[in-house]
Order: sequence, then structure tokens, then C-alpha cells
Amino acid sequence: MFGYIVPEKPEMKIKEYELFRAYYCGVCRAIGRRCGQLKRLTLSYDTTFLAVLLSAASGEKVQVMKKRCALHPLEKRHVISGSSAVDYASDINIILAYYNLEDKKRDKDSPVSASALVLLKGAFRRLRRKYPEKCRIMEQRLDELVRLEKQQCPSMDMAAEPFARLMEEITAYEPLCTGKDTEKILRWLGYNLGKWIYLLDAFDDLETDIKRGNYNPFVCQFGYTGQDVDEFRNEIREKAGFTLFYTLSEIARAFELLEAKINRGILENIIYIGMLRKTENILGIRRCGEVEESV
Amino acid sequence: MKNPYEVLGIREGASEEEIKKAYRELVKKYHPDQYRDNPLSKLAEEKLAEINEAYDYLMKNVSSGGNSQYSGGASYGRSGADGWSDSGSDFFNQVKSHINSGNIRLAEEMLDSSRSRPAEWYYLKGIIFIRKGWYNEAYTHIQRAVNMDPANYEYRSALDRMNTSYNAYRTNPFNSGRYRSEPDLCTICQCLWCSDCCCECMGSDLISCC
Repeated sequence: MFGYIVPEKPEMKIKEYELFRAYYCGVCRAIGRRCGQLKRLTLSYDTTFLAVLLSAASGEKVQVMKKRCALHPLEKRHVISGSSAVDYASDINIILAYYNLEDKKRDKDSPVSASALVLLKGAFRRLRRKYPEKCRIMEQRLDELVRLEKQQCPSMDMAAEPFARLMEEITAYEPLCTGKDTEKILRWLGYNLGKWIYLLDAFDDLETDIKRGNYNPFVCQFGYTGQDVDEFRNEIREKAGFTLFYTLSEIARAFELLEAKINRGILENIIYIGMLRKTENILGIRRCGEVEESV
Repeated sequence: MKNPYEVLGIREGASEEEIKKAYRELVKKYHPDQYRDNPLSKLAEEKLAEINEAYDYLMKNVSSGGNSQYSGGASYGRSGADGWSDSGSDFFNQVKSHINSGNIRLAEEMLDSSRSRPAEWYYLKGIIFIRKGWYNEAYTHIQRAVNMDPANYEYRSALDRMNTSYNAYRTNPFNSGRYRSEPDLCTICQCLWCSDCCCECMGSDLISCC
């Protein structure tokens, strides 16, 4: 999908890193097993995060096994198996990949995405039958998103709403919640996660969107008047950064209320360090640490 | 009751000092001020109550001497969850009570139907935006309320809370940048080379090959 939700590897313990990789491989294998080997190419880090998070929220017992994999034939790798969170994340991965390709195809007729769509169609149809309610809501949100973008929505909060709601729907998967409270926490976490992804992606694409004349929420919110893109970026950095970091602080608050018995270290790493640094990188904020390093 | 050690996130048999330290940190983390204007505030309150209970229990049972003063610590953060001031018109008080009971949509409809828009209108609209997760709109509205009525403490503290929350995340303890402050290879070599030179000056040698 976007691949913004990544752990900060140098700050991780080795066992956490291995476990994260085991989830990554677990999602990848689950896609292969459930939807066919070729679909494994759609794998993203974002859905791995989803698997780690929901696995922690559901309190399920996970098994780690060593397995050989066709993509890395030389060494056996740790893989999570028998986890419903991993299975769910792998399904979501396919559904999102399908919607993403559909969106690209709508933008302009690209032969690559059209043929990839054909390949994903069968698996997607099956998953749509499996999660009818989730898919209905997701499609509704995506329609709203397209409509708002067409209308050149002037508010970045409003423009980000459909995608935030979509992520909320994905994150709160009732069968994996241990209770109403957990679902409520996951909903708020997912909402803010979606908001962060949408706005961060918009800031990242500022230049291309302006060049191609595509919709960009920051352009409409802060009234871009044809100045240099870097200059515009400097003007809006503080305001955009405020919303992005505030969103992350809400993700952290929601996470602190979650009874995460496992994967705590990985999730803390991603939420408190990985996502923060990703945001700083894309905003182009230099940290004091980096200045010291370059001297 | 859950295992109090687990609630406080410490090992069993932890010392009084450790218990107090863990307790202080958790109270800070789940303090009602942290979760004001947040849809999860009720859950944070419950969590804090659980922490207080665990702390009270441990303080009563673990340390046998001189514990009477600590039971008072339970009052931490139990007040101020609904910190609305009672001033203002009936209309706005009604909107506030809807916000407090979590009925955000109704509160917003009421506000939107109102013609007059004093500072308080912008303030409440801002609070609703925070609850909805529309942080840019929230900041703009609360800022406007503060500009219209700079003397109002309530508006200003809401704005401060937003700024604090944003800063607290950015400077969170996990992101201390530990690995960045370690010396890199270049610095290490330089140190070795200098030490070697110094040793040689004194007539000895640290690295024999150079």
C-alpha cells in the first residue's frame, strides 16, 4: 500500500527484529497459501504492522516455526503460523492491493495495473464474499474519497476523513477483539493511523501532484498560488507537522490503553520511533542528532 | 482484582522505591489531563483507578512500616476529569453536557444551528473537532477563541494542551536516539591514534605496529 509504517531497526532488540520478520514472512506465506503464490508480490509493511498489532490485541498464542521459502531458498526463516491475526492481515493485504490497482487504473489506463487487476480478481471476489460488511464500508469510503477529491475539498481534515474511516474499519476486526473496549481503542487507533497515512502521503506527493495538477489536500487547504514548491513546503511545514505529530500522539495514547501482552517492544518501536522518524524525514525536518553526526 | 505487580508493570517483590517510581510514571501517562477531549477518556479513567487500587494494595501490604502517608497518594488524578467551568449561557452549557456524555453529533448540530458566534462558540467547536480527530480545524478554532477573548483561561489551556501533547510525543523517551550518540568508527580510530601517540610520547606503546 504505502509502506510508511516501518520499525526503526537500529533501535530494536534482535529478538524483536526476528519476531517482526517472522510476522512479515507469516503474512507473506498466508497470502501464498490462501490466495496463490503470485499474490505474495503485493505484500506491504503496513499489513505486517496490522498483523503484529491485532495479534497483540487479541492475546492469541502464536507459534514460531523455521521454514524454507521459495523467495529465500538458502536459509530457513522464522515464520509465525497458526495466527488468525496474520491470516486476517493477509486477506486485507489482497483487498487493499486490489482497491489500489483499481484506483490507479481509474487515474489513467495503465496496462500493468490492468493486467494485475485481472490476476487479483479471483482472490478478491472470494474475499469480498468472506468479509461482505467490511468490503461494503471500505468501498463506500473510497467512493467518498474520490468524490471529495473531485470537488477539490478545501479542508485537509475533511479530505482525510474517508481514508481514516477506512483504516478504522480495517483495524477494528471484531472477531480478534477481546471486548468492546478493545474494539473502541482499535477504532480510534485505526482512525488516526489512516489520517496519518493519508496526510503524510499527500505531503510526500506535493511536488508530483502540483506538477500533474492532481488533487492535494495541502494545496487546497493552504492556498497554493503557483510559487516554488520548496517555498510552499516551507510555509506549510509547521501546520502540516502539527497535525501529523498530533495524530501520532493520539495513536500512542490509544496504544497505551491496549492490553498488549505480546509484541509490546515491536509496537513501541514502530509507534514511538519508526513513525516519528518517517514523519520527520518526509517533512524534511533535520534532527539535532543528524547535524551532530554530519560534523 | 488483577495482580497488582502486573498492573504496575514491575517484578514481584519489587522494593517500595521501585513501586513508587512505576506508580508515578503510570499516573503521569494515564492522567485525565492526558486524555481530556479524547474519546477514550473513560477507559483511561478506569485504567488509572486500577493503577491506584494496585498501588494502594501494595503500599498497605508490602511495606509494613510508615505506609500510612502513601494511601493518600490514591487521590492522584481523580479530580478534574470533567473540568468545565460553569460560566456561560445555558445554550453553551447544554452543548458542553452533550460533549461530556459523548454525544458529539448532537453537540455539533446544536452549535451549527446557532447564529451568534462568540469566542465560546469557536472554543466548543474546536473541542468537538479534537474529539472527531480533525486537529487542524480544532487548532484553528481554539486559536480563534483565544484571539477573541485572550483573558479566558479555559480557552488558553485547551490550546496549551494541544501544544503539549504534540511536543510530548515528539520528545518521547523511546526516541532518545541512543544509537546516534555512540561514537562512530572514525571517532574510535581517532581516539586510538591519539592514545597511541600519547603513549609513544611517554615512551611506551599502545598499538605496536604503528
